[in-house]
Order: sequence, then C-alpha cells, then structure tokens
Amino acid sequence: MKRIAIDPITRLEGHGKITIFVNDDGTVENAYLQIPELRGFEKFVEGLPVEEIPRVVTRICGV
Amino acid sequence: MAFEPRIVGFLCNWCTYTGADLAGTARVKYSPNVRSIRVMCSGRVDPVFIITALAGGADGVLIGGCHPGDCHYQEGNYKALRRYLLLRKILPEYGIEPERVRLEWVSASEGERFGRVVDEFTEQIRALGPLKLEESVLESMKNDVMHEGGTPAHTTGV
Amino acid sequence: MKLKIGIYWGAACGGCDVAILDTHERILEIAAAADILFWPIAMDFKYDDVRAMPDGHLDAVLYSGAIRNSENEEIAVLLRRKAKAMIALGACAHIGGIPGLSNMFTRDETLKRVYIESESADNPEGVLPSERTVNDGNELELPRFYNTVKTLSQVVDVDYTIPGCPPASMQIYSAIGLIADGMLPKKGSVIGAGDRALCDECARTKSEKKITKIYRTHERLPDPETCFLEQGYLCLGPATRSGCGSRCIKSGVPCRGCYGPLDGVADQGLKMLSALASVIDGKEEQEINATLDMVAAPLTTLHRFSLASSIPRRKKV
Repeated sequence: MKRIAIDPITRLEGHGKITIFVNDDGTVENAYLQIPELRGFEKFVEGLPVEEIPRVVTRICGV
Repeated sequence: MAFEPRIVGFLCNWCTYTGADLAGTARVKYSPNVRSIRVMCSGRVDPVFIITALAGGADGVLIGGCHPGDCHYQEGNYKALRRYLLLRKILPEYGIEPERVRLEWVSASEGERFGRVVDEFTEQIRALGPLKLEESVLESMKNDVMHEGGTPAHTTGV
Repeated sequence: MKLKIGIYWGAACGGCDVAILDTHERILEIAAAADILFWPIAMDFKYDDVRAMPDGHLDAVLYSGAIRNSENEEIAVLLRRKAKAMIALGACAHIGGIPGLSNMFTRDETLKRVYIESESADNPEGVLPSERTVNDGNELELPRFYNTVKTLSQVVDVDYTIPGCPPASMQIYSAIGLIADGMLPKKGSVIGAGDRALCDECARTKSEKKITKIYRTHERLPDPETCFLEQGYLCLGPATRSGCGSRCIKSGVPCRGCYGPLDGVADQGLKMLSALASVIDGKEEQEINATLDMVAAPLTTLHRFSLASSIPRRKKV
C-alpha cells in the first residue's frame, strides 16, 4: 500500500489536504479530502452586538 | 497553607498615600495585605496597570484617590472613576469578579478610614479566594502543542 | 539579485493575500523584484518544497492569519527557520484579529457548537474531528485544534509587522519595496503604517468631547463632518495606529481598530477604555453608568481585533 499526500492543495481559498491510498497493483483504494482548518465563527459570534455580525462574518472568506 | 490575599494598591500621592502614612504614624492596626504603589494621581492609574497586576498574581487591586472635588489636578479622580466603572464592566467578560477591583476616596486626614478600607477589602478578597489568572491562562494552553508530549510555544507567562 | 519570498496563511480568510493582489499592475513590479517560492492561494508549491529549502533560504516570509491549530504553528516554525525576515501580515498574525474572538470560549465549546449544535449539522452520533482516524484501515491525521488562539509573535520570533484587516494594498507594496531596497528599519518595527493615532489623520472636525449617550451604528445616521466619538459612536481611532488611509471613516463607519495599537501600548483595548472614559460626561457613578451601559459587549468591542494580544489573552477558564 502506497500513500500519496497532496498537502496543501493550492490555488484556492482555504486549507485542504488530499490523501490517496494506492494498492500494490497500482489502483486507488481510497482517497480522502480533509479540511484541516476551523476558526469557529459559529461559536464566537455569540454575544457580539448584532450590527457586528455582517462585519465579522466577512472575515470567513476575504477572497 | 491558608490563603492570604495579595492586593496591589495604587494610591494617590496627595490624599490616599498620605492617609496611609497617617495610618502608620498613628499606629493604626490593619491588614498587611496591600502592597502600595504611590502614583501622582488616581487619574494616572492606567487600566493596563490594573490588569497587569491581576495577570501578574494579584488577587485584588485597590485604587485610592482624593474625594470628589478635592483632586490636586482638578479632574483626575473623576477620570479614575469613569475608567474604573468601565473596567468593572469588562472584568466579568474576562471571567474575573468585578469586586476584585475597588476604588476608594481616602483623604490625607483619614488614616483610620484607610485602615478600615484595607481590612474590609482584604476580607472581601479572602472570601472570593485566589484569582490565579496567569495559572488559568497557562493551564488553558497546556495542550496547545504541535506534537503529543510537546511543550506549548509560550510558557513564559501572560 | 532577485529576492526570494514566501507567503502563507494560518487561521485567515485570504483577505491579506487578496490585498497583495490588489496592488493591481504593481504585482508585476513585485514579481520583477522577487521570486515567490511559496504561496498556497496562488501558486502550486507543497509543504515538502519548503522543508527541502536550506535554512534562511527565503529573504522574507509574509505570514497572515492567527495560530489556531498545530498546523498553523508548525508551518510558522518551519517558515521562521527558512526566512531571514519573518513578517506578520495583517491583523490576525499581528494581534489575533477576528479569529482571536474565539478566546472568549474554550476549544470544547467551539467544537460542540460547530459540529453538534449547529443548525445545519447532521451528526446524530456526535462525531468530532480527531487528530487520528482510522477508516477502512487507512490512517488519517488532522492538526490539533487549540484551546487558545495565538498571535504569530506568541509562537515564533517576528521581525516586522504590517498591520491591518486587510492591510492597505499600497502599504504592502511599499513594505515589499523596503525589503527589496534593503531599507528595513530596526527589528520589531511596524512597517507599512503610520506612527501616530488614526485621529491625527482623520479629517473630521473635532472639538471638546463630552458624551452622555452612546449610539450604535444602526441607531441613527452619523453627521459626515463631525468626529464620531463626539457624536457618541464608539470609534477606536484614538487607540489605533494610522496608515489605513481612513478607509472606514471616509465611508461613514467609525474605526474598528484593525491597525492595532501604537508603539509602546501594551493593550489596545485598555488604551481605548481609557480614551472612552475620558470623553464621557458626568461625575456621579449613576450618570456615568447610565452612559456606559449603552456600550454593547464592551470587552469584545474594545478588543475587537486584539483580544488574543490583550494582557490576559483570553477569558478565564
């Protein structure tokens, strides 16, 4: 079993990693896309003044 | 060992610090828990001083200034009051009891009252228990490590 | 000789990278002055390419984003080793930025909200991300999600800082010019920004401030000529470094503090606390409190971008 890691995946917004598991006969057994990044906007917007939300969540993605 | 509150006092040169001196010369007996720092005016007490004291191991902070209308610099004590009131609003958001910071007006002639304020505040902090702000922050970061068994990048304190 | 630079993002939104691209045709000048050897958002290099570089290979690294997990820290440490000059780019790397607001909560509270309680989550078994998973005999890894968000300088030695959320594109351009010309100031300096408070470059009319009412931005329209703070809007200008070109102010929005504190200021939010307390009218506790009660969520409002770099750094747990 061979393991190929594409880390990081590039030319897009965000963090991502692809791991491919290749059999001894050369066929792909499994391939995984993982998103290693989390900032937690869902939680930390709690308790902010409501007028802040549009100005804070624009920092989810700035691209 | 029983908990002894560590209190930092920022005392105004013209009133409270002189009041504390009077407490000493008049042989007033009061709790030895306040470490006094003389400042020229309660208006000089930057909130950074207060938070730094709490983060550096103090369990409470006492700010002493001249009575309203008596400030040597006219308005310094009112500025201190407004900063203090606003600071007390952010302390609970940090998870710190606002009662750990106290502002008192003590004049140069109120040596006995200075002793009473210190006694009262010391008992209040004793009831609240130790703050351990730095310990709590370091504890929160102890598993923030790159590899299992590693050490956090920042262990030098708050 | 051409410069070699690397550009990376930790816990970031990509806005800093876009700010680099927003130099428009000047990006060609940057490309002429420097070879970019790592820039995940725009070019195809892998972590292994960086690992293979000799130490000190890169003249400068621009690191945007906060340190939220072990990968952010690992790459920061790696790039620090490969870089002659480590530059924190943008508010997140500089002072924690918006991701730093996470320090009001713990790691567990955040994970629970995102993966279990979230309205859009379909996760009846309550699965949370784990650092090691075995699926079908295949072993997979994820970075460790930290409890406390950190700034770049809290995990590695930082040589220079370009502040802002995002940094003004022309400021990035001029900062790269400083590197290219070998004109970098002394280590630890903030580059690509002013050295005075935003109020100093604000064009609005200022007179003596005495406020008894705090307005939130949706409550009424501000006068376009007068100082925001005088009108009762919480403007962080007095405690914020200039250099943004007053972008928000000119658009009718009070300063939100993204350029961070001035030199020598230990805590931007507490500096603003002092400034705000100074302009509030009133000598009686009751009337002062009546005004202060109008400040919504004072801790995060004063430390909107700088919570992770505030003196206690986070909410006590």
